[in-house]
Amino acid sequence: MGPVVNILAIETATTACAIALRVASGEEFEVILDDERHHTESLTPGIRDLLARVGLAAKDLDRVVVDRGPGLYTGLRVGVATAIGLSLGASAELVSVTSLELLAHGAHRSGVRGTFVSAVDGRRGELFVQTFSLGDEVSPRSEPEVTRPDALRDEWAQRDETATFGGDGVARYEAAFRELSRATLLDLRVPPPIEALSLGAIRPPESLVSPMYLREADAVANFSTRERSS
Amino acid sequence: MALVLGIETSCDETAAAVVDDEFRVHSSVVESSIDLHRAFGGVVPELAGRAHVATIGPVVRRALDDAGLDPSSPAISGVAVTSGPGLIGSLLVGLSSAKALAYAWDVPFIGVNHLEGHLFAPLLEARDLQWPLMTLLVSGGHSLIVLQPGPGQHDVLGETIDDAAGEAYDKVARWLGLGYPGGPEIDRLAKEGSPEAMKLPVSMIGDDFDLSFSGLKTAVVRATEAHREIALADVAASFQAALSEQLLRKLRHALERYDVAGVALAGGVAANSALRAGVTQLAKEFGLVVHLPTMAMCTDNAAMIAAAGLHRLATSGPSPLDLSARPNWQLADVS
Ligand SMILES: [Zn+2]
Repeated sequence: MGPVVNILAIETATTACAIALRVASGEEFEVILDDERHHTESLTPGIRDLLARVGLAAKDLDRVVVDRGPGLYTGLRVGVATAIGLSLGASAELVSVTSLELLAHGAHRSGVRGTFVSAVDGRRGELFVQTFSLGDEVSPRSEPEVTRPDALRDEWAQRDETATFGGDGVARYEAAFRELSRATLLDLRVPPPIEALSLGAIRPPESLVSPMYLREADAVANFSTRERSS
Repeated sequence: MALVLGIETSCDETAAAVVDDEFRVHSSVVESSIDLHRAFGGVVPELAGRAHVATIGPVVRRALDDAGLDPSSPAISGVAVTSGPGLIGSLLVGLSSAKALAYAWDVPFIGVNHLEGHLFAPLLEARDLQWPLMTLLVSGGHSLIVLQPGPGQHDVLGETIDDAAGEAYDKVARWLGLGYPGGPEIDRLAKEGSPEAMKLPVSMIGDDFDLSFSGLKTAVVRATEAHREIALADVAASFQAALSEQLLRKLRHALERYDVAGVALAGGVAANSALRAGVTQLAKEFGLVVHLPTMAMCTDNAAMIAAAGLHRLATSGPSPLDLSARPNWQLADVS
């Protein structure tokens, strides 16, 4: 595999839509396109404008990295579908990363060390979480999972361990996290797409990428108890 | 020769097709997620959205491949995609990938109305259609009578005020304990029953062109509750006859009122045998050229979206890349 030169990263897992770009010189750019969930309107024009600014066309892209979540389903589908179209049309390799690892890498870059918990707002009173160890490297300590804020708080209240929490789920349920005496809350809401550039550069390309949902579709989950109407 | 890639993801079909400016279909790929929805008796939006994002890449790749095009630099002059009406979470998948492809290839991007797409389906099978054309567009989501002076021109004369025709089929099929989708099930069963077995109302006999099917569904429920001895096949035959009767009466009324040269059927319910027979008979009576689409052109596909996209590109120009999905986009608002 030759060196991956021009890499684009797409981030749509939370309410923000953002992109990052690394070009041949090694220079990196990061742009937040919107924070009002108009992802499908702003994403492709945003990519076009950023590439044009540095004098690149889509076909100059060697690799497209997309955050496949977990996060907001609609936004993830916009991000993943855009990445699929772009990689196909530009003959670029397609690679995926997760929102939870981007948060951990973002925290690591800002100097956080020790135990870090990524917590993405999953709506419906739930969080998508994963625990990492941040040392010289970022290593996962658990698998991504769905939990409730109070359950997460109780779990960490019982542990004899200090930890840093980050993600838009922390911002949303700040009161619950504040009750943890050994917790540090990091104001890091959007999984930083710039982290996806380095992560995505060293992973093998994928032929198919789908969002990480972590939950069954509502209808499937409710089907056994649902009363059928005529 | 200009080629357009069409993409369709408004409901439960993930589809891509390549069509040229003479409406020749170079490839057409349709991947349906209907098996995932069967147990629920209708399309589950979240399941449809998940299926679209999982299949869109392979479907587009296959459509390009079947047309002999190289995805990295295909001889494509535009990318057309359904931007409405439909399920929002499903529309966004097609819309997002279509925008990215159009940008990557540096070609025009065109947002297409799904119903206008259905109106272009007959043109893909018969380029010598006679205009003006009266079209009965009936599907699981829509039921309209449309007068078309020419391609891409449409006057919506009437539409359903409640359920779509296909929706009525689904609801009655579910009530009778038949499978989903209801149309083919009822159509099959109706062949073994008597359409006169039950007295069902033919609603909406007024002077306008609007349609209504919810009263008919309620009548089926009441009648079968009152007469549990009626054979399922007879219920199916009677329901199908009453539904076709309403559609055909309104279509006849429209043909009496407006001078047209042809009549066409479009949409998923256009596959129904009773309706096809009725429309053929009606066309004969009025001395009109009739166009009945093949099964592949009745159901949702991307070739019809590419065809409508070719027309829109020539008449209205490309759409901006910041185009939004329009889940409730009415055909009457297309221009
Ligand atoms: Zn349709």
